[in-house]
Amino acid sequence: MVDYVLSLILFIPLIGAALTLLFTKSRESARMVAFVSSAISFVLTIMIYLQFEPGIAFLGFQFEEKIGWISSMGINYQLGVDGVSMPLILLNAILCPLTIVYAWGESKLPNQFFALILVLQAGVFGVFMSLDFFLFYIFWELTLIPLYFLISIWGGPNKDYAAIKFFIYTHVASLVMVLGIFALYFSTGVNTFEIPVLLEAFSDIVSAEMRVGIFLALFFGFLVKMPTVPFHTWLPDAHVEAPTAGSVLLAGVLLKMGGYGLFRVLLPMMDSLGPYRSSIITLMAVLAVVSILYATFLALAQKDLKKMVAYSSVAHMGYVMLGAAAFNYMSVSGAMFQQFSHGLITAVLFMSVGVIQHSVHTRIIPDLGGLADRMPKLAFLMMCGFMASLGLPAMSGFIAEFMVLTGSYLTLPVYALLAMVGIVATAGYHLWAMQRAMFGSYNEKLGEPHDLANFEMIPMAILVLLIILFGVYPGSVMEMFEHASKIIPGVMI
Amino acid sequence: MAVDNIVYLIPALPVLAFVLTLAFGKKLPSGGGYIPILAIAISCIISVMAFLQIYNTGIPIEVSAHWFSVLNVGILIDPLASVMLMMVTFVSLLIHIYAIGYMAHDPGKPRYFAETALFTAAMLGVVLADNILQFFIAWELVGLCSYLLIGFWFRKPTAAAAAKKAFLTTRVGDVLFLAGIVILYSSMRDVFLERFPAGIPDGTYLLQFSTIFDNISHIDPTNLTIITLLFFGGAVGKSGQFPLHVWLPDAMEGPTTVSALIHAATMVTAGVYLVARTFPMFIASPAVELAGITIPATLTVVAYIGGFTALFASTMGLVMNDIKRVLAFSTISQLGYMMLALGMGSVIGVAAVGFAMFHLINHAFFKACLFLCAGSVIHSTGTNDLREMGGLMSKMKITGITMLFSSLALAGIGIPFLKIIGTPIGTSGFVSKDAIILEGSYVFANVTHDWIPFAFGVLAALLTAIYTFRLWFMAFTGKPRQERHPHESPATMTGVLSILAVFALVFGMLTFIPFNIFVGHTYDHHEIEELAGLAGNHVIGHDEILDIAHHASPIITLLPVIVGVGGLLLAWVIYNRRWISVASIGNMRNPLFKILAKRYYQHEIFIELISLKFTYGVLALAGEFSDRKIVDGIIDGISSFIIGGAEVLKKIQTGVVQNYATATVLGVGLIALILSLRWVI
Repeated sequence: MVDYVLSLILFIPLIGAALTLLFTKSRESARMVAFVSSAISFVLTIMIYLQFEPGIAFLGFQFEEKIGWISSMGINYQLGVDGVSMPLILLNAILCPLTIVYAWGESKLPNQFFALILVLQAGVFGVFMSLDFFLFYIFWELTLIPLYFLISIWGGPNKDYAAIKFFIYTHVASLVMVLGIFALYFSTGVNTFEIPVLLEAFSDIVSAEMRVGIFLALFFGFLVKMPTVPFHTWLPDAHVEAPTAGSVLLAGVLLKMGGYGLFRVLLPMMDSLGPYRSSIITLMAVLAVVSILYATFLALAQKDLKKMVAYSSVAHMGYVMLGAAAFNYMSVSGAMFQQFSHGLITAVLFMSVGVIQHSVHTRIIPDLGGLADRMPKLAFLMMCGFMASLGLPAMSGFIAEFMVLTGSYLTLPVYALLAMVGIVATAGYHLWAMQRAMFGSYNEKLGEPHDLANFEMIPMAILVLLIILFGVYPGSVMEMFEHASKIIPGVMI
Repeated sequence: MAVDNIVYLIPALPVLAFVLTLAFGKKLPSGGGYIPILAIAISCIISVMAFLQIYNTGIPIEVSAHWFSVLNVGILIDPLASVMLMMVTFVSLLIHIYAIGYMAHDPGKPRYFAETALFTAAMLGVVLADNILQFFIAWELVGLCSYLLIGFWFRKPTAAAAAKKAFLTTRVGDVLFLAGIVILYSSMRDVFLERFPAGIPDGTYLLQFSTIFDNISHIDPTNLTIITLLFFGGAVGKSGQFPLHVWLPDAMEGPTTVSALIHAATMVTAGVYLVARTFPMFIASPAVELAGITIPATLTVVAYIGGFTALFASTMGLVMNDIKRVLAFSTISQLGYMMLALGMGSVIGVAAVGFAMFHLINHAFFKACLFLCAGSVIHSTGTNDLREMGGLMSKMKITGITMLFSSLALAGIGIPFLKIIGTPIGTSGFVSKDAIILEGSYVFANVTHDWIPFAFGVLAALLTAIYTFRLWFMAFTGKPRQERHPHESPATMTGVLSILAVFALVFGMLTFIPFNIFVGHTYDHHEIEELAGLAGNHVIGHDEILDIAHHASPIITLLPVIVGVGGLLLAWVIYNRRWISVASIGNMRNPLFKILAKRYYQHEIFIELISLKFTYGVLALAGEFSDRKIVDGIIDGISSFIIGGAEVLKKIQTGVVQNYATATVLGVGLIALILSLRWVI
């Protein structure tokens, strides 16, 4: 294995982006260059995934790289992976090439389009790999830019509003996060931005109020990204206007950065919060349950299929928060798995909605009807996605939700039971949408739609197979998460 | 032992059949229907082999492997699972064979056979599970398949709606069930942490049935009652018990063979099986006080819900005109009997499981037969409406006779008092229902002086006989009332009907005693007695049950048959002889008829009031309003405030350095002022 394999995984998409943007003349060459570069990243990711050893001590990173950068401030270019990040890197490596294949037919400015997807991929890789807070922040902000352009150039009718709202909302949250990072840097006085060092030094900060302040500032940044109610309203707007590929990556990997922040940075701090720990946990649990229930009922109210899927994302990310709040290894590993699983599932949902939009030019549920008659392949894959999303066993979402609920019940029983109230309504909006959009007699006003093209069907089918695979055998992904969550200081075993 | 190594094939083969039929069904004859038939036939043979092994050795088959985290996957075939396995595979096999003929003209055959294969596999997964989570997983897959199959003709809006209703209604029960599992895990964890303070040893699977049953006495009694009540909530949903039965009559929208599968072999029996499977937990659950409210012992709840459902559903069965809907209500009612039987466990112990399971198996035969007969009738007359049928006996002899036999079984007709080597003589429905009413609810009443379950059982038996023969007389006797010329169905269909009818007639008589002894071995009698003791109950022994039942007054013993025959005669008088005018009772001016025909306004309450008005109209739309106007309104408000502020600031930004200097001086002065004030104070 080469020494700089993480850098390779990270920079190959960036190089691919540059090549796509600068040197490709046609759509065919643009998408091919984009696909090949994300595919190389994927292959390299699989290689490190197979070599990865779960069960190394807390803050024990593998494949580490470190190059001095701004030494006066203690800033390094430092990468590494552990059980928290490895499966998410895998998720990112899986989703991006599939999204590129799905977008194979993109005809509007294809070289820019595919280049932006690759930049996005690199940004997300960077967030998951960075072991330096400064670097982490740079990548964190880097992801905003491609998505901003994806929405504002390839978006729907209200794209300018949505793009600006997305950018400013999440950017303001990032600034609060940066305040937290600097406060952490200055109050620990270790003169380095190394995440492991700062996390170890966090408990040495004398003032408990300072520790909570830092925690909350970082928390706010992650909270908006996930997003958690009441800081979620940028998400439905962004999704409604974003092109399908943008939505897939936004929901599939970008939101996961928020959850990743919880696991990477905040949970290790939890044990050092002293007297404030229980209030913080209550805050997180309340936000989680409110997100789950509120977003579920909102999903039920939506007429736009895509907006419904967007709200379902908010509800599903609520499980991530709940599992983190419960702070025992079962709930935390369930929450981590929920991130991984939701990335796969939501991609299928957004792809399904995208096909409908593309093929009958509307996705307003009451205007659809009987699509299964003309689009049986779509109906099949969409049904698989919807079933996974409503938590059907033998699919990955169930494993995650079961772990989160069972784990949460151990430490936060009331919240766990409240969260379960949403399960029936979750099934309700999924099936009701299916019934109105896909079943019944075909609505002839929709014209003659075409069923899935191969480049749409293949990525969706691969995702469905993965969802079932991880639902039947969570295997090594779950194992990594479990080891990673067991070694968080103070977590209940 | 060889069988242990191949039992996993029992569910695996139908899963494989699902995949193959889905992938290649279009290119094969009969839509690939022979693949699931072959697979299920082999599963059936392996099930019989497994039965023979545990019958001979008396040792259950157990296979288990690590799954992930703290969970395992495994197979448990004990007597309870074994009888269920044979029934499911055998009945499902017959229904698949029948479907070759029945579905011959449907273009969706490959999808149909793939889904029914998966349906069977999921049900086998329920039966074979050795831990409660795996049970739940298969249970949910059963729900998925029922959704897909009820909505099989998805172009029909009513089918799509019925499928959704079935899934969501059972989902309510499923959530309760899941909550029960979550609480059970926590309780079991507490038990083990007390025993192993250093940490639960690896390889201990807290959700495995054997582990749970060994530790019931350590689980907090309040938790145990809550857990079992939640489990029962799941069973109420799946087995169509009041008040979650509303999905089952609508589930008729699928092909009739699907109805037969749902009502006989798969799906609805899963709830009864759940209670039987976790019976040691149920019997140990006492009545508890929780937050000042007394919660009755779980088995009492089971008995009352079951008995009430048996009666309640049969009242609606009286007035339905859709042939399948009558049968649907009869299923709900018969499942009520099974629950009633299980509820008697607090007095008769493990015999309750035997009675319930025996009725379940008998019911599977005669209900499958009834549905497939109904399918044969619908196939040839092209209508579901009983009012458009009549005089079919002359055209469809085999269907008519097999349906008569299975109707006799459903109505529980037999010969009282006559017993040959301890076995009562009568149709299988008679044998099993009689046992539930006499050796179950009568003995229960005799010991506890609670006659309500008994009364439910007898009244429901009367109504059952009436609606069953109402159906038969309306369809097969009298003047033909339709234009079409009905014809008998093909041999694959009538052959299956004949086999099932024979089982409906004689299975009960032939197997009553060995069945109950065999299933009785599922649980250790002494353990059950001890567990019942935890709930403050005293379980009486087998001999004592028989003793009390035998010394019942002749009226009591005769009662089930009297009401059965009486109901039959009443139906004959009204619907065959027509001495009493149907129209004079059965019209909408009669308030009793109206409320029955409207099914107690359940649709209005559950669908329109709760689902649409409340969940959608109130919760969802209020949420939408708050999200757009309040939550997002605040954000937009803040941003327009900032933009507005920026407009003001833009004017201040004059570019004249002096102005900035003035502002800086003023600002510094202000800060100095504030700081000095602080010093002063």
